[in-house]
Amino acid sequence: MTVPRASGYFRTRYAEDFALLDTRTRKAWAALFAAALLVYPFLAGPLALDLANQVLLGAVGAVALMLLTGYAGQISLGHAGLLAAGAFTTGILFKEFGAPFWVTLPASALVGAALGLIFGLPSLRLRGLYLAVSTLALHFIVIHLGAEYETKRGFSTGILVDPPSIGGWQLYDARAWYFVLLAAAAATVLFSLNLLRSKTGRAWRAIHGREAVAGALGISVHRAKLSAFVVSSMLTAVAGCLFAYFRGFVSVEAFSLFLTIQYVAMVIIGGMGSILGAVLGTVFVILFPYFIEWLMEAAGLAEELAAVVFAVNYSAFGLVMILFLVFEPQGLVGVWRRIQAWFLMWPFKQKPLAGTK
Amino acid sequence: MADGAVLRLERVSLAFGGLQVLDGVSLATRPGELLALIGPNGAGKTSVLNCISGIYRPASGGIAFGGADITRERPHRIARLGIARTFQHGELFPHMTVVENLLVARHAHIGTGIVGEGLFLPRVRAAETAHRRAVEEVLEFVELERHRHEHVDALPFGMQKIVGFARALAMEPKVLLLDEPSAGLNREEREDLARHILRIKHELGIAMIWVEHDMQMVADLADRIHVLDYGVSLAEGAPDEVLRDPRVVAAYLGSRAAV
Repeated sequence: MTVPRASGYFRTRYAEDFALLDTRTRKAWAALFAAALLVYPFLAGPLALDLANQVLLGAVGAVALMLLTGYAGQISLGHAGLLAAGAFTTGILFKEFGAPFWVTLPASALVGAALGLIFGLPSLRLRGLYLAVSTLALHFIVIHLGAEYETKRGFSTGILVDPPSIGGWQLYDARAWYFVLLAAAAATVLFSLNLLRSKTGRAWRAIHGREAVAGALGISVHRAKLSAFVVSSMLTAVAGCLFAYFRGFVSVEAFSLFLTIQYVAMVIIGGMGSILGAVLGTVFVILFPYFIEWLMEAAGLAEELAAVVFAVNYSAFGLVMILFLVFEPQGLVGVWRRIQAWFLMWPFKQKPLAGTK
Repeated sequence: MADGAVLRLERVSLAFGGLQVLDGVSLATRPGELLALIGPNGAGKTSVLNCISGIYRPASGGIAFGGADITRERPHRIARLGIARTFQHGELFPHMTVVENLLVARHAHIGTGIVGEGLFLPRVRAAETAHRRAVEEVLEFVELERHRHEHVDALPFGMQKIVGFARALAMEPKVLLLDEPSAGLNREEREDLARHILRIKHELGIAMIWVEHDMQMVADLADRIHVLDYGVSLAEGAPDEVLRDPRVVAAYLGSRAAV
């Protein structure tokens, strides 16, 4: 999984080749990072805590999309539709049957997996843009069904969902949510990293642009594509379920195509083919509008621009995405790797070798 | 060559639109045999390999492997039966390391399921360890141990070809299809390649169908040569006979040279 970079470190067992954390330094950093994450909600103010919660929730969906697009190379524009599918499954089960969290969560996952299987089928024939358009159908079908449900049942403004109770523990405050979302994000990241360091993940990476070769090596391309769609959609629908509880409210308005674009942006800005990239991209995309707002305030333009704040946000967002595509196709993770390489090379000023990651 | 053939093509024909690419090609190979497939550019050599590995479907004729008909099988099924191949341009997975490229080739041998992998259960851990060991043996065979953790797109082209060769070998095939393995290699790399091919033949007993343009290598190494010209089998037999055959010389050098 990881490539040894520094000298003085030698592997003596095969298991060290696929260890998630190989050196003592990395383990120490990881432990420090985990400790920081656990302490964070006790130090952060209400806004910082809410932002963290949004990032953690977003990371689940972004990692799911990264598996599909960044690793297996399958483009999907159905991401908001899948989040909606999870959220509506949860909302409807809660509203109609009073179903508890431990029913709605697996039910959402199941619906997501089924949708992934169905809307993964076109990928067996279509590629690139054509596939992207076919996945749009998923978006519109789910949104249409959700809207139908809302109007038929008279919830025209949306479905209210009570906070869930997990093990007799009601999830009301943001701090409790933080730990639930942290657990969900951590589980998603770990699950994904595990898949990527074993057979299924390698098959996904193999079909990315090299389908014929993967086939000649004994990989069923159909199976690999469908499994990528199913796993990704399942995780996304789980994120949708958490979204429903977290917001306490499910409505089709929340799942516009712009949401899909945001997730695609997380994956691209973060850096294709990297789980770390998905997380960094989520942080960036979630914090970006707040940053723009802060900029406007700092420049003393908040009053003048108040009417066009959304337009400013959208255009700045678009601009940043284009800048990343042009100047840093490897995304934030590419920047991160260059920083690492710089420190690794210091005080020598060589450029890192091409292809080193 | 009828007895003991592991792979047999019977009158295989292939056409793209009006273009007849292969016209009734029949050939067979035995375990441990090195069968060279030669012919001028556009003779249909790579098409023969693509038919065998299921990338193309022949219009007529049959392909049998170990007694089973594989003519219309899907590529990954054929690979799983034990037919591995290399590609003319390497076709490695560029964002993976050498070890990862070879691990992909172990796919069919790894029996872990997606849920267990996601949880990285002890048996997944054990399988990953075992298959890394298998890959390491192949790396040792082709002497690439030093480069195991390098990204393949950072390797020189000649070495990439050897990685492609090792990747096919990592599948533990019964038949190995080599598509111009020496193209783009320098003299030293060619000698290494020749050594690897001979070791595979003698130590592993794998049947090889070897598409090659380097006539010196073919003459030195091949057990038999099959010559294609415009999709038609021109000659087959021992190297020194075939390479002296006037029709073969004509196909390569033009008909006046044969006279």
